[in-house]
Amino acid sequence: MKKLILVTVVVLALALAMVGLTSANNGPHGGYTATTDACAGCHRAHTAAGPKLLIEDSTFALCMSCHGSTATGAVTNVNDGVLEAVAGSNTGTPLNGGGFTNYQTAATTSTHDVSETVTDAWGNGVDRGTLAALAAGEALGCASCHDPHGSPNYRIIKATINGNAVTVTQVDEGAQVYDAESWPADMSNVCAACHEAYHETAANVGSDTAGQVFGGGYTHRIDMPYNYGGNANPETVGMGGYTLPLGGTDLVVCNTCHLSHGTSAQMTGFADGGPTGGGTLPGNTTATDSALLRLDNRGVCEVCHQK
Amino acid sequence: MPENKVTEHDIHPAEMEVEKEEKEENRRRLLLLVLLLLLALLACVAALFVRYLRRPAPLPEMVPLPVDVNYPPHYLFSIYGVDKPVGVALSPEEDRIYVTETGGERLVKIFDRGGDPLGSFAPPRTTPGERSPVYLATDSTGRVFVTDRLQHTLFVYDPEGNFWDAILAPDLTLSEYVSKHTNGLQPGDTFAYNQFESDVYYQKTGESEQTLPAPDPGGWAPLGVRIDETGRMLLTDVATEGFNVVREFPAEVIMAPSWQEFNPPERMFGSYGQGNGEFLFPNTAVPDSQGRIYVTDGNNGRISAWDGQGSFLFNFGQGSGDGALSLPRGAAMDARDRLYVVDAVGQDVKVYDVSGPEPNFLFAFGDWGMGDGQFNYPNDIALDSSGRLYVADRENDRIQVWSY
Repeated sequence: MKKLILVTVVVLALALAMVGLTSANNGPHGGYTATTDACAGCHRAHTAAGPKLLIEDSTFALCMSCHGSTATGAVTNVNDGVLEAVAGSNTGTPLNGGGFTNYQTAATTSTHDVSETVTDAWGNGVDRGTLAALAAGEALGCASCHDPHGSPNYRIIKATINGNAVTVTQVDEGAQVYDAESWPADMSNVCAACHEAYHETAANVGSDTAGQVFGGGYTHRIDMPYNYGGNANPETVGMGGYTLPLGGTDLVVCNTCHLSHGTSAQMTGFADGGPTGGGTLPGNTTATDSALLRLDNRGVCEVCHQK
Repeated sequence: MPENKVTEHDIHPAEMEVEKEEKEENRRRLLLLVLLLLLALLACVAALFVRYLRRPAPLPEMVPLPVDVNYPPHYLFSIYGVDKPVGVALSPEEDRIYVTETGGERLVKIFDRGGDPLGSFAPPRTTPGERSPVYLATDSTGRVFVTDRLQHTLFVYDPEGNFWDAILAPDLTLSEYVSKHTNGLQPGDTFAYNQFESDVYYQKTGESEQTLPAPDPGGWAPLGVRIDETGRMLLTDVATEGFNVVREFPAEVIMAPSWQEFNPPERMFGSYGQGNGEFLFPNTAVPDSQGRIYVTDGNNGRISAWDGQGSFLFNFGQGSGDGALSLPRGAAMDARDRLYVVDAVGQDVKVYDVSGPEPNFLFAFGDWGMGDGQFNYPNDIALDSSGRLYVADRENDRIQVWSY
């Protein structure tokens, strides 16, 4: 028993020491001191109602206390996908990650469900188009991807997601520019932590299954230069006024086409992956499924390929 | 001439049968009438019983607490029919409860004292995805002031929820903008603003609707609003992460019959940060009877006290132990200078006596949960003169009513 207490104390001390070293992150998400009162903001040592000594049993409700539609404690309103503080302007700007309820004032059509009920992920160590359980005991929530105590990663992305080590370079954390699309080159590591099978990076995986790590047919290459095949720059040129952000130095990363939190993009006809749509996806039971895509229908294809 | 008498023998048996049937019919009619009367009586009794069950809770008298004794209030009942409520305010007559909700249609809802719904309203020409009402307050005339986080605007309505005007920037109202560009506004003219649209809409009496290019009001973000009995408005502004202040609007400006000439002197105090006199997301600012102003300094987890001239006095509530705050949000002051602070993450309401030179923590009420008297991320509070307390209980989708 004494050993257990000793180990617990050492682990907590190490955790606190590591937290103190993180550079991300403001407000309650880091910068703790030895006499901090921040712990009591979210935890109770002996009367916690939720796991991990949380005051409440839902991390989503806890996060929404600051990051919800009222944005009463943060400028990042993830519920509506809006950055609420742009100097000299009353107009919020779309948040990089999108929104969970609305995005660009319209209701979302697909989101990552962070209600801590989803326990499976597509291509999670298995072939694409196949679901597999997340790491033991994991149910998807805000804290599945973000570390509320701060992190050395970009956007307080957790160092370990779904049991996998994740490294994401900080590109503008000091400035905390949450509206400029400046994804790091290794941003796709976040998505790959759960959707590993979709992170195929070898050349020609779109036409050569031999180069693929996972099965599931041909797939779009990730972390590739945008001009592979002579495409115009989707970030600076785009099409019809629409642009897509690149990661690092002109790389197509997951976030080039997808929003992490949720999108309000509309899908019709062949682009509708829902059960009544023209492009029904296997296992899809939602009415329409915009697959977290940034643009309506397959605009994300056309902005790059311009066929 | 023999008398023409009719005897029983003269009546045809068929006629007797008819007479008998008529009697029977009359008896049935009478019975039916009695039954109907009984049913009507029963319905009246039932209606009276339902009315009795739905009667407003009795109005308790304000308990005159002894000076040196304080005790927490007790739970009375809850008002449902709101989706993620975050703000609550009372009409000047205290017969109406106004509630902002951030879920569903994101409306301001009106209830009577018993919790029955009376109506709802929202900024004209906006959709739920374009608005996010947060805190609200009423003035002595019953007007309802509502801050909107997505619109970066303070909307003002009449007591029934009809749009009256909007403050678009610290020195600009919607009526002022429209008036200056259209040779003045008259009673009955209407106008509307949605910061997501490039035009302002207006319609003068007897004319068709027209538009104006929307103004560029600059950057501000009104969050918490409180209006004292004189009409002075205290407004927190969290424009950017580098600019957090409390703004003060004089009563003569706020209570003017029209805002077509809106020129309040710029009065504000505080700045962004963690030091003395600095704020991290100030949510609400409330005055006491001695002219001091108390600001819930949300992300600093404390209350910041200021004098009437906008000079910083002291902080309290930060740290650990009794009365320590986690995430202070909405606040209210009672007639005895007791400050009620809703602690959103602490899941309770903490009460301080601020009548003396030093604040004194008295007690807290509520804890986390979904039962009666338990909170799930509460956010705001309103008090009435009878000793009732109304708490916006966000994640439990209700307004809790407490009383002494």
